[in-house]
Amino acid sequence: MIQQVHPRNPGGAAEGLALPKGPLDLADLTAAPRFGLKGPGSTDWLIGHGAALPEVNRLADWQGMRLLRLGREDLLLLAEGAGEALDRTLESWRAHPGPRGWSAWREEGWAWFRLSGPAQDEAMARLCAVDLRPTIFPGDRIAQTRICGVEAVVLRGGRGFDILFDITLTAHLIGRVAAATHDLCQREVEP
Amino acid sequence: MKILTCPMNGPRNIDEFQSFGPMREAPDPEVASDADWARYLFQAENQPGVVVEWWRHVPSNYFFLAERDIVTNRVLRTFDPGEAE
Repeated sequence: MIQQVHPRNPGGAAEGLALPKGPLDLADLTAAPRFGLKGPGSTDWLIGHGAALPEVNRLADWQGMRLLRLGREDLLLLAEGAGEALDRTLESWRAHPGPRGWSAWREEGWAWFRLSGPAQDEAMARLCAVDLRPTIFPGDRIAQTRICGVEAVVLRGGRGFDILFDITLTAHLIGRVAAATHDLCQREVEP
Repeated sequence: MKILTCPMNGPRNIDEFQSFGPMREAPDPEVASDADWARYLFQAENQPGVVVEWWRHVPSNYFFLAERDIVTNRVLRTFDPGEAE
């Protein structure tokens, strides 16, 4: 049995770093199930299994999971609370003789954080150059951009902004969000 | 802030992009001389006017083409490689 070590686990690069709480809440979902599928055959395989694929940079619900289309043949399944559905999907995918794309190892290569709270929109406006206001960036959109100088995939879920990025930069992102939280809190107490 | 419009991701900060230089036809490996290859690999044309260049939107790893006037540094249009003639 292989035990994954995430950056905030003992021995990880972000061990001991506290996640911001308060007007900005940062939650670590890195251990939550997900799967990236990429390359020729990816879309055909998903369509063949009943998925209605969204356009590029859009997402759709599929079997209780969120299906993100990051490119023509670059897809990501987020299965928070839908681990069994993802397990069934993976079982079927692995048994398929192909072509079926290949695993992009998003469950290992990317961290997954959620930024929420009353100050989430103001914080994102500081951390990201893309206009992520709800009227411009509704819940079915994906932004592939930079946050805190880190390349990231961003989406606006019902419970905050989901941010997926290079897992090796976890400590950096936590530090930058903590600094933004500090700035926002400082300003709130100023006369 | 300079803004470049990615055909797939829309207008973005220029920091999100990487330039890969002018699009040009590769020499035929069956007949090209060493001098042809050296010129292709190491020498830029650098003539004034409009060039078609390869660019990459880094966060999405998407490659596309841009027409840019290298005198004014104005990007005239960006488009998917599938639209290239």
